[in-house]
Amino acid sequence: MNGKEKQNKNVLSWLVSQWKNNSLFSIGLVLLFMVILQTLALNYSACESFGECVELWIRNFTNVLRNNAGIGIISLGMTFVIISGGIDLAVGSTLVAVGAVMMVIMDANTIGTLSRFGITGVPAYLIAIVAGILVGLVLGGFTGSLVSWGMIPPFIVTLGTQKIFRSVTQHFMQSVNPKVPAPFCKLANAEIGGYMILPIIYWIITAVILYIVAQKTVFGRQVYAVGSNERTAKLSGVNVNKVKCKVYILMGFLVALTATLTIARIGSMDYANAGAGYELDAIASVVVGGTSFSGGKGSIQGTVMGVMTIAIMNNLLNLWGVPPFLREAFKGAIIIIAVLLQKKEKA
Amino acid sequence: MNLKMKGITKSFGANNVLQGIDFSLSGGEICALLGENGAGKSTLMNILGGVLQADQGTISIDDRLVEFATPLDSLNAGVGFIHQELNLINDLAVYENMFISREIKKKNGLLDIDAMCEETKKVFERIEVDIDPKTMVRDLDASYKQIVEIARALMMNARLIIMDEPTTSLTEPEIEHVFTMMRTLKKQGVGIVFISHKLREVMEFCDRYTVLRDGQMVAHGNVCDTSINELAKFMVGHEVRTESLRQQREYGEEILRLENLSLDKKFKNISLAVHKGEILGVTGLLGDGRTEVFQTVFGCMPEYSGRIFVEGQECKISSVQQAMNQGIGYVPRDRKENGIIKDMNIMENASIAVLPKMTRYGIIDKIRQKKEFNGFVESLRIKLRKSTDLIGSLSGGNQQKVVLAKWLMANPKVLILDNPTQGVDVGAKEDIYNIILELAKQGIAVVILSSEAQEIIRICNRAVVMYHGTIQDELHGDEMKEETIMRLATGGHK
Repeated sequence: MNGKEKQNKNVLSWLVSQWKNNSLFSIGLVLLFMVILQTLALNYSACESFGECVELWIRNFTNVLRNNAGIGIISLGMTFVIISGGIDLAVGSTLVAVGAVMMVIMDANTIGTLSRFGITGVPAYLIAIVAGILVGLVLGGFTGSLVSWGMIPPFIVTLGTQKIFRSVTQHFMQSVNPKVPAPFCKLANAEIGGYMILPIIYWIITAVILYIVAQKTVFGRQVYAVGSNERTAKLSGVNVNKVKCKVYILMGFLVALTATLTIARIGSMDYANAGAGYELDAIASVVVGGTSFSGGKGSIQGTVMGVMTIAIMNNLLNLWGVPPFLREAFKGAIIIIAVLLQKKEKA
Repeated sequence: MNLKMKGITKSFGANNVLQGIDFSLSGGEICALLGENGAGKSTLMNILGGVLQADQGTISIDDRLVEFATPLDSLNAGVGFIHQELNLINDLAVYENMFISREIKKKNGLLDIDAMCEETKKVFERIEVDIDPKTMVRDLDASYKQIVEIARALMMNARLIIMDEPTTSLTEPEIEHVFTMMRTLKKQGVGIVFISHKLREVMEFCDRYTVLRDGQMVAHGNVCDTSINELAKFMVGHEVRTESLRQQREYGEEILRLENLSLDKKFKNISLAVHKGEILGVTGLLGDGRTEVFQTVFGCMPEYSGRIFVEGQECKISSVQQAMNQGIGYVPRDRKENGIIKDMNIMENASIAVLPKMTRYGIIDKIRQKKEFNGFVESLRIKLRKSTDLIGSLSGGNQQKVVLAKWLMANPKVLILDNPTQGVDVGAKEDIYNIILELAKQGIAVVILSSEAQEIIRICNRAVVMYHGTIQDELHGDEMKEETIMRLATGGHK
């Protein structure tokens, strides 16, 4: 075997070991592959120059990311929840509840709580956002308390709150129809350099902050510790209940941010269907991103790539003209395949 | 039944775990397989049990060459492997466990419970134990669980039984159950491989011994021709140190005092005190309540009654955080479940308890974390490659040192060590003893919980012996003798 062949073999075995052992590496490769397919799948026939082709590509790419920024932010919180050993099935319902509260507060017409006192415009929006975030925190705290001090499995708690939050919201909203004031929508739809990328920017900022929280703060490390070995964490002086509760509060906060983004983007809310299925999409992204379902292992970077992978795949299916009803099947397949490829610990 | 293993060689990567081992056993014989952790005992038996395959070497049973590719192959050839962690399902009845995956069915496809119970009873009669086949496994005590597992192997016609440290988690009377049954089996011509660290048991029950060290067979012979000291010497390769390391010194003021501490059904009326610089041993049999007493002191069981004083001040301790604030540190037993966090690296495992005090502007101060940790790597002589490797990459002894470092970082006034040398090899054991002595010298009050009488005698200044959740008696200095401790631990008097 000559030197070059040997070198090639080394590179290959390095790639294989990375693929097997480094989940960030494998999801990164899958994502890269998706981006390449996406680039090839775009229809460039209308472009007259290379520059126009690039612009078409960027426009498509930012569209995909913008449409998934909401689920992206929720997935970041879901990463913490799953690393801590929990699960949250109530994110969609929480989103609706928070959205409803914000819209009722900021509505510029007779329904609006604030407009009755003559408060409109930016002050009203700010108050609405703060109130929405408070609702998110309270609902998250409620879930978290039941999980930690109530000692009910998170799957059960959030299955319950999923029903409660949406049903109560629908009940109170059936006879009121608040509208989102047009200026508020700028929060999501204002253009920067010709592109509507504000939601993407929010997503990136949140991801960076939460990356730091996960890796470099006491809370972040305690979340990993609790998820990996709750008993040891407790015996090491970690207040396990508090950490668990905080994780759901963080989730509530992020859902509130997403709710703000959602109503600003769409300008209204369908209380029966908005956010439905978000929990499963978020869980899928987190798992595809390499976070272990049994807790203790995972990363924010992985989740961001997981969200992008699923989003770009959806876009691809669209570009390829796959019939709409079949698209969910592909989504399901990639979730299973991604997890199949991840390194499993031997029992 | 005549087993011969010849020239068994096995390596994992560059690590030669077994280098040409010969091992033989006849029916009706109990052979002890001895060696330190990592000597290769488990690997050898895993090869015999079909869990692993040898790189080289042959296995023959009754002069017929056999090959075991799976545990089932080996079981079909008559070898039953009773692992240290029992393979029983707690939520099923005894007979269900006996017949799992080989259930007897009636003609209509439903389970034939009566037939299964009948078969189960027959096996129990054979080994002269009396267990109702319909008992739930979770209601059995540890020794009977082990017996059920052996019975299961016998039912599948095992003629050779491998028992991997069967007595480590058993109490004295339970050990007696297991041994009685082993004698019965022996009489019936079953061969037994007995892996144990307890040399006294080996001397008492085994016919022959084989000692492995670093993957090689260093000695074998008849038990009646040897002594405990000789066996221990074979195992470690040099004289074992049994001399007392106890240091006489003036103690400082009282650090921790318990008055009439009780907890429903776990322990009652525990009163004791530890002083600055003193090493107090708390010993007894498994299940005597000592772990519960000190977990209570560490805030894990807030519903206790009685009083706890730290440095003369009474305090109510109802959470681990409160215990830590009082300057109490606790190195728990069962390192894997309670001591380490397997998904985190070595340095993080060591600093998890003090992490909240190591931040700047809310961010963990990695430089300080590293500096403090490296100090302990040096002083505790922790052998590691990179501090960012996963904790699982370390040997048991080094993992234990990391867990120790976790509490030393917190600067405790009183340090409670529960089974500090569990699953640690002889070399690391001496290291840990020296660390403990050094800590006491520096003025920390140390409490050692252990059921190894030797350990208590060698390093403690004073020993409290517990029996069924109460303090049976207290021994000072030279009063501490293995016989005395054993007598008190089983309910006797000085």
